[in-house]
Amino acid sequence: MNILNRILIIMIGCVLSSMAVAKDLTVGLKSEPSSIDPHYHNLGPNNSLSAHIFDTLVGSDENQQHYPNLAVTWKPINDTTWEFKLRKGVKWHDGSDFTADDVVFTSKRAANVPKSPSGFGTYLKGKTFVKIDSHTIHIKTEKPYPLMPNDLSTVKIISKKYGEGASTSDYNSGKAAIGTGPYKFVEWVPGDKIVLKANPNYHGALKGKPAFNKVLFKPIKTGPARIAALLAGDVDLIDSVPPLDVARLKKNASLTLTSGPSNRVIYIHLDQFRENSPYIKAIGGGEIKNPLMDVRIRKAISLAINRDAMVAKVMEGIALKAGQLLPAGFHGVSPNMKPDPYDTKAAKKLMADAGYGNGFEMTIHGPNDRYINDAKIVEALAQMLSRIGIKTKVETMPKSVYFKRASAGGPNKSPEFSFMLLGWGAGSGEASSPLRALLHTYDKSIGMGRANRGRHSDPAVDKIIQQALSTVNADARGKLLAEATEIAVGKNYGVIPIHYQMNTWAAKSSLSYQPRTDEYTLVMGISNN
Amino acid sequence: MLNTDSNSKIINVFMYKFWSDFSESKVAVISLLILIAIVLIAIFAPLISPSDPYDLSKVSIMDSRLPPMAKNFAGDIFILGTDGAGRDMLSAIFYGLRVSLGVGVMSAIFALIIGTIFGISAAFFGGKYETFIMRIVDIQLSFPSILMALIILAAFGKGIEKTIIALVLVQWAYYARTARAAALVERSKEYAEAAQCLALGNKKIMFNHILPNCMPSLIVVGTLQTAHAISLEATLSFLGLGLPITEPSLGLLIGNGFQYMHTGDFWISIFPGVALLITIVSINLVGDQLRDMYNPRLKK
Repeated sequence: MNILNRILIIMIGCVLSSMAVAKDLTVGLKSEPSSIDPHYHNLGPNNSLSAHIFDTLVGSDENQQHYPNLAVTWKPINDTTWEFKLRKGVKWHDGSDFTADDVVFTSKRAANVPKSPSGFGTYLKGKTFVKIDSHTIHIKTEKPYPLMPNDLSTVKIISKKYGEGASTSDYNSGKAAIGTGPYKFVEWVPGDKIVLKANPNYHGALKGKPAFNKVLFKPIKTGPARIAALLAGDVDLIDSVPPLDVARLKKNASLTLTSGPSNRVIYIHLDQFRENSPYIKAIGGGEIKNPLMDVRIRKAISLAINRDAMVAKVMEGIALKAGQLLPAGFHGVSPNMKPDPYDTKAAKKLMADAGYGNGFEMTIHGPNDRYINDAKIVEALAQMLSRIGIKTKVETMPKSVYFKRASAGGPNKSPEFSFMLLGWGAGSGEASSPLRALLHTYDKSIGMGRANRGRHSDPAVDKIIQQALSTVNADARGKLLAEATEIAVGKNYGVIPIHYQMNTWAAKSSLSYQPRTDEYTLVMGISNN
Repeated sequence: MLNTDSNSKIINVFMYKFWSDFSESKVAVISLLILIAIVLIAIFAPLISPSDPYDLSKVSIMDSRLPPMAKNFAGDIFILGTDGAGRDMLSAIFYGLRVSLGVGVMSAIFALIIGTIFGISAAFFGGKYETFIMRIVDIQLSFPSILMALIILAAFGKGIEKTIIALVLVQWAYYARTARAAALVERSKEYAEAAQCLALGNKKIMFNHILPNCMPSLIVVGTLQTAHAISLEATLSFLGLGLPITEPSLGLLIGNGFQYMHTGDFWISIFPGVALLITIVSINLVGDQLRDMYNPRLKK
């Protein structure tokens, strides 16, 4: 009896104490990552998830300011060399030590993942990683390279021991998914859940020890279902609250809503490299020369877009209309550029001047599960373009299909579509990120124009971007970036910006989420109210 | 040989008998009337709709989500309100009915033809050919039809013709099985044997002699499968596969409206839902009555 009693008391004690410490968290995500491999696809949901398991050398906080993560200090030691001192005593999830070898290995692997739809080459090409001692790295470039910390804040460091010879599927299965981050990978059941557990040996650079014992990410694609899951208590936090529901949910006392602007511009890529574009036809279906080659047509399209209506009606007011690649406040933004006005008359005149007064037929392609209200944006664009005589068809598809076709669905792995809706989040928090990825001439060998799906090309723009990338003085660099934007977007209409996304998270009232400009949903950013 | 005069008399007698059997159920008659009305609406949609919901230059995002009976700036009245893209709901439902019925009926007809040919020939020739065809049918029927359709559409891509192809591929097996069962019974009857003794060609026996006697059960299956095809198409559209978003069928209208369910904009989902419900229920009730009429066990 006595012994039984004691056992009972101990058991109750155990249960109570574990309840106090062990907290589980379930998060409802709009977009499921396409892989656990941190280098497979440079895509928001992937980067967000892998930030739990893996660390970068340079951390990037809610407002994309840098903090020491796996590297404790970094500085240029001469014009072409940066020195990174690594954090000591960091352990991989399997208990082995983190050293400079892992960083050197990562620099080789991250840019060369087979079948990667859009990888990290942009951030790694032209950089040579040299191990100096077990916790010091030198990175050499040909020219001065001021953006080193920005670039390295995007690349997750993987373990050499597990990464050598590992394929993307080895990461997805968990075999190679060994990181240094605050959470360990447990399992991924595609379409159902991703399970992580706390890493008790986490070095603590980001918000100290992990606050939750077990974290479950559940992909819930549709907005109403995500909200219903939160209201029913099935999940504790959801991302991408549909703008439509924000006002109503704010009134609900059992929830905490947090919103913030993002670094993501929603824009249009236009085919500027094919004489005959596959999804553009003359009225009636005949072949015509690609009208999007003509800057007047591109400008007409920009003038035909009613950005105020887009923000007010499609985005429910929860977005900012865009005239360039990043909202004001980020580095390298031009103070002179405004969103184009809505002017169908001027647009029609430009169409007529360019010789397309009767219009043409075109298909707009867009994803239907990637950006906030993406399919509706495409539909509204189709309406607006129809009004200036461009007979528009719409085709939307899930992102899993869309991005492959948009990047390399055509012959010789060229972009398939003629006119497509996309978004770009400036991962490095600077205008250089969208400029070199979207508007620099496509050149795989130097890692430029990687996501330039319209293949816009202007040597003058290339020159300014290159110059900016090697300018150390931040103000001078910012001016150059602004100048490049003014030419590439403002004059050339190489891409047409529509709006900047704003993101809203909703949590049960005991929690609250700190919004991030990079749109990531990080468990580390959750605080108790 | 019968002359045309007595032929038409026979048809008259048959029609009279058919109608007197059919009109035994008041519900079926009402359903038939509703169905005829729906078909007329679908056929004449461009004439009776207040606006063309597929003409993007006429639809404006500024008119989006107006409640029923609301007016826009230009003074147009939207009897059933507008959807999230600014389309007039009433017009969108009329056009949507057109798409849904069109896809449903077309796919049912093609599936009927293909399934019947395979089913009757399987019953007629027997042997390995029959085994081969019927095992394919068995395998196909063992998969849920929505799953089959999803796979096919994922492979083909979107579009009305592709949706019809997917539905035909999903549904032909039902007809093949029904046709074979009916043809097996008919094949052993005296008239079929007589036709064989006359050394008529296989095609002639199959399609001129056996097929007409299989028709009643095929018509019943056809009617019910049409309703099934319509709901399958609506499901596919709801899931975002199937038809393009600028030319919504009923399923897509419901799917688009679904996201507004929590915000109180009920009309975007409810009205097309009701239209779909009425269509499918009336087809099913007509089909049920046809089935009862041709079911010998229910004959009084």
